[in-house]
Amino acid sequence: MSEHDTNNEETDRENPIMGGPGTAAAETVRMQREAERLAEPVDAASDLAQRLGLRPYPVNYWIVDYDEMNELVAYGGFQERYPHWRWGMSYDRQQKQGQFLGGKAFEIVNNDNPAHAFLQISNSLADQKAVITHVEAHSDFFANNKWFGMFGQDPDAAALLDRHADTIRRYMEDPDIDRAEVERFIDHVLCLEDNIDQHIAYEPVSSDATDGEGPAGGVEAQLEELDLSEEVRRQVFDDDWLDRQDGDSDRPSFPEEPEHDVLGFLRSHGMQYDDEVGKAVEMDDWQRDVLEILRRESYYFAPQKMTKIMNEGWASYWESLMMSGENIADADEFLTYADHMSKVLGSGGMNPYSLGLQLWEYVENSENRRNVVDKLLRVEGVTWRNFHDRIDFDEVLDLLEPDDLVSSVDTDALDSLPAEDPRIDADSLAAARDGAFDPEQYPWRLLTYEGLSERHYSLVQPQNRGYLARISLEELERIARYMFDDARYESVEAALADVEYTSGWDRMREIRESHNDVTFIDEFLTQEFVDEHDYFTYEYLHSSGDYRATSSDYRDVKKKLMLQLTNFGKPTVAVADGNYRNRNELLLEHQYNGVALDLEQAKETLSRVFELWGRPVALRTIEKQYDEHDLEVARRRDREPDPTEVGLEIRYDGTAFTETELDWSDVKHLAATDIDYDTKPEDWLA
Amino acid sequence: MGLREDIERYREVGEERRQDLAEFIQYGDLGSSRDDEIHIPIKIIDLPEFTYDQRDMGGVGQGGDGTPEPGEPVGQPEEGEDGDPGEEAGEHEYYEMDPEEFAQELDEELGLDLDPKGKQVVEEVEGDFTDITRTGPSSTLDFERLFKQGLKRKLAMDFDREYVSEALKIEGWGPAEVFEWARAEENLPVSRAWIDEQHAELSDSERDTYPSIDAMTDQVEREDTAQRIRREGVDQIPFRRDDERYRYPEVVQEREKNVVVVNIRDVSGSMREHKRELVERTFTPLDWYLQGKYDNAEFVYIAHDAEAWEVDRDEFFGIRSGGGTRISSAYELAKQRLDEAFPFDEWNRYVFAAGDSENSSNDTADNVVPLMNQIDANLHAYVETQPSGNAINATHAEEVERQFRGSDDVAVAYVSSPEDVTDAIYRILSTEETDE
Repeated sequence: MSEHDTNNEETDRENPIMGGPGTAAAETVRMQREAERLAEPVDAASDLAQRLGLRPYPVNYWIVDYDEMNELVAYGGFQERYPHWRWGMSYDRQQKQGQFLGGKAFEIVNNDNPAHAFLQISNSLADQKAVITHVEAHSDFFANNKWFGMFGQDPDAAALLDRHADTIRRYMEDPDIDRAEVERFIDHVLCLEDNIDQHIAYEPVSSDATDGEGPAGGVEAQLEELDLSEEVRRQVFDDDWLDRQDGDSDRPSFPEEPEHDVLGFLRSHGMQYDDEVGKAVEMDDWQRDVLEILRRESYYFAPQKMTKIMNEGWASYWESLMMSGENIADADEFLTYADHMSKVLGSGGMNPYSLGLQLWEYVENSENRRNVVDKLLRVEGVTWRNFHDRIDFDEVLDLLEPDDLVSSVDTDALDSLPAEDPRIDADSLAAARDGAFDPEQYPWRLLTYEGLSERHYSLVQPQNRGYLARISLEELERIARYMFDDARYESVEAALADVEYTSGWDRMREIRESHNDVTFIDEFLTQEFVDEHDYFTYEYLHSSGDYRATSSDYRDVKKKLMLQLTNFGKPTVAVADGNYRNRNELLLEHQYNGVALDLEQAKETLSRVFELWGRPVALRTIEKQYDEHDLEVARRRDREPDPTEVGLEIRYDGTAFTETELDWSDVKHLAATDIDYDTKPEDWLA
Repeated sequence: MGLREDIERYREVGEERRQDLAEFIQYGDLGSSRDDEIHIPIKIIDLPEFTYDQRDMGGVGQGGDGTPEPGEPVGQPEEGEDGDPGEEAGEHEYYEMDPEEFAQELDEELGLDLDPKGKQVVEEVEGDFTDITRTGPSSTLDFERLFKQGLKRKLAMDFDREYVSEALKIEGWGPAEVFEWARAEENLPVSRAWIDEQHAELSDSERDTYPSIDAMTDQVEREDTAQRIRREGVDQIPFRRDDERYRYPEVVQEREKNVVVVNIRDVSGSMREHKRELVERTFTPLDWYLQGKYDNAEFVYIAHDAEAWEVDRDEFFGIRSGGGTRISSAYELAKQRLDEAFPFDEWNRYVFAAGDSENSSNDTADNVVPLMNQIDANLHAYVETQPSGNAINATHAEEVERQFRGSDDVAVAYVSSPEDVTDAIYRILSTEETDE
């Protein structure tokens, strides 16, 4: 794939759909034709998205062929990335998987303003439409979710990544810089790509930030500045002397608080180990630059990793509504569409698309239910205690059925449609009456947000009809507790006339603005939801040597999901001290939450950190140790052994690892006492 | 720039990080490879990161039909269960080698250099239809040529009929003068008979139209053949048998390096699990190697106890039977199969047998050795796998070795543990090499 060249950028503004960049003439014709075919669905999807309350960035669609699509997937959705073997690896993997998701690559959209989305030319029309609707919703999420906003409202991502690629490529081609060294350096940094502080906005570390509080204050560094010969140094300022200095030193360690942005810290204070002189020297300019570039990319991609479940669920929700609910797919495309949906959502196990979709539907239903119940509890004589007895749910559902005006818009009788009704789009209606468009194909063009929300009201849909009756007494009580004029309506009918059909969607949009996956699941995952969708937790059992289901309690499911989502599902490792042992060593601490580190990988990672620090590095963690005897006993009794938690420090000095057991007092502050991710039932334990 | 380069770099990185070939042969998981594609497990290709201990982490699943009860096994969690197809953990990553690369690497690793003997197998391959003959099936008729020749002929025979007819109208000219004039002076392919015919058709008054030849040429515009054909078209092309040419394909003689490998394995009761595995470890790389060395490789798998039968590769290493052992049964079958389908003048032949050297009494000397002599092959090999020490009657390998000592087409190798496998492979493959 060639450049995303400026000419294409120009035409972007005029025609939002275009052929893939740099394609041959015959291909261009084919792609042009596809672009023409898709112009209408793109237009329709964008109009419909607006009516449904979405406010996406404009989307530019690109038609690409199968190979280009694969390539884009491998490169994280962008055409220009810095040279690295990892892209080659993911491309190779995809090829081998015979193309992911059962032979179709269909959905790539970049968080950008305008967003860029890619359509594969060989996809069926139904698939293209599915992608388009899906993409509109993603773009809405990018534009409105505050976590995305943290990187800036106008990321101009393609250009940013493009510049990064150029810079790194330039370093690689620089005759004064060893290309292999640039590659290795990138590898080192990528090992820590998730070790940033994703909860705060990205701030570049500028080159002159290496100052004051820096490690220059360390005794050893001061000695280095004296430029003494090794002999003098060894004789006069020997290790004992140095150790004594430690005791006297009242210089506080830095940083003051543990620093989660490990990459940023290394950017400010990291050095490189110079083999020839046998000590740490300043990083080269190109190294600082590359480190900052990769750090910036980590921050750019962080929101996508933090909102994966919400974002994919959001896109699937609106895709489904637009496609099947509003005829963006024609009748004969519908089967392919249904097939497509089941491929995306039905891949088994825990899948962000389906968990997200289910959660959004649950949010919609419970919000609509809350709104209905709120009205019903104000009917004279209805209280939360007698709610289930007094309310005839079938009757309620019948009354809630959308008005014919919106559920089956009579496009043959345009003149009889009431233009003043808030559910009818008066302008569109006037245009349709003038014959400006034929409302037959897309009756929704005549409806407003209010109209559409009633038309798609969730509680009356066949799969959701049980929701209302299923409400628990606790929830009824909770709603009733803050209610004042609780006898406002004389009848159920009168109460339901005040139901706000828009409440579900209104709430969903609020949530999509402020939440990320962790807070989303924390707030909305309930027992009702877990039961409805058969979620459960599992653990590895030492007694049986395999994985067993442990619980379907929503609190357990939530715990495990939190573990998988918090901090990108990675253990939290922070910089505790940049002047460890008063020798400018780096101390990292793993903030232990009851789940142990993969120690082998941790060691390998630590050796990479050394390359970016230039001096010895250490990591403190808590290890779970199982006594052989306990294991044996546990196996025999079919019980789970109780591990002993032990403090551990792994140190790497550039040549070898040393592992030291630590006193509990040294690691006590690392152990979180208020969380427990273990879901094994109490009585399984030994 | 870009993709190709990144893929290439990935291949190089993968190459650096793949398991050592000898180690892979000795201890690796050979079973995950297919015949034509060799997977070499790479030791963690992806970059390390701070991550949780997978087992300690547990996870969340979604029941298909209802929720599993606590305590029910749920199987191995899937890698990359966050559903992102691009980002699976790299632990089960394979480096893929095709047999050619495998053979090349093994050559380097073991210092082998087996040059596949150009068993100069001659194959007739149909090339392009470029040669030409005068007879042939009508479908190969070169019609274009026939048409062109016919057209040339027509052009050559054609003349301006009207012009010649006009000459008959010159005062005092008869057919004889006109014929003379047309042939000698105008060089037209006209016949006397045709002129006589035309002359007879003229009325007396017409015969004196022009006072002289000069008057005629002044008044009559002459039209050449090309112009006339352009005006009138060609009604008829005179095709002649002489012009017919038939195309036929050029015969290309290609020398293909064909190889047939016969794998024979003792499946009798004494061949226990461990021995079976050693056979597989030895034979599989040999198969891959030869497949990589030759253009075209065929494999015959023969299992035997007291009887021999042919099996598929899939079953070959797994079979276990109860019966006794008669190794010659396998060689009889091998001979039969080779003679039927793989003549030695067209095929390179390798006959590899493996077992624990047990054989029924005298079978080796009386039957196997003569059969080995009868079966022409680049190489015969016997691999003795005996992880549990020598049994008294297990002398097949020794006998074969004694019988063929110094021979350059019989190799005997002993494998009693996985460490021996690479040596055995070297021994077998280098035996043929010295033959060069």
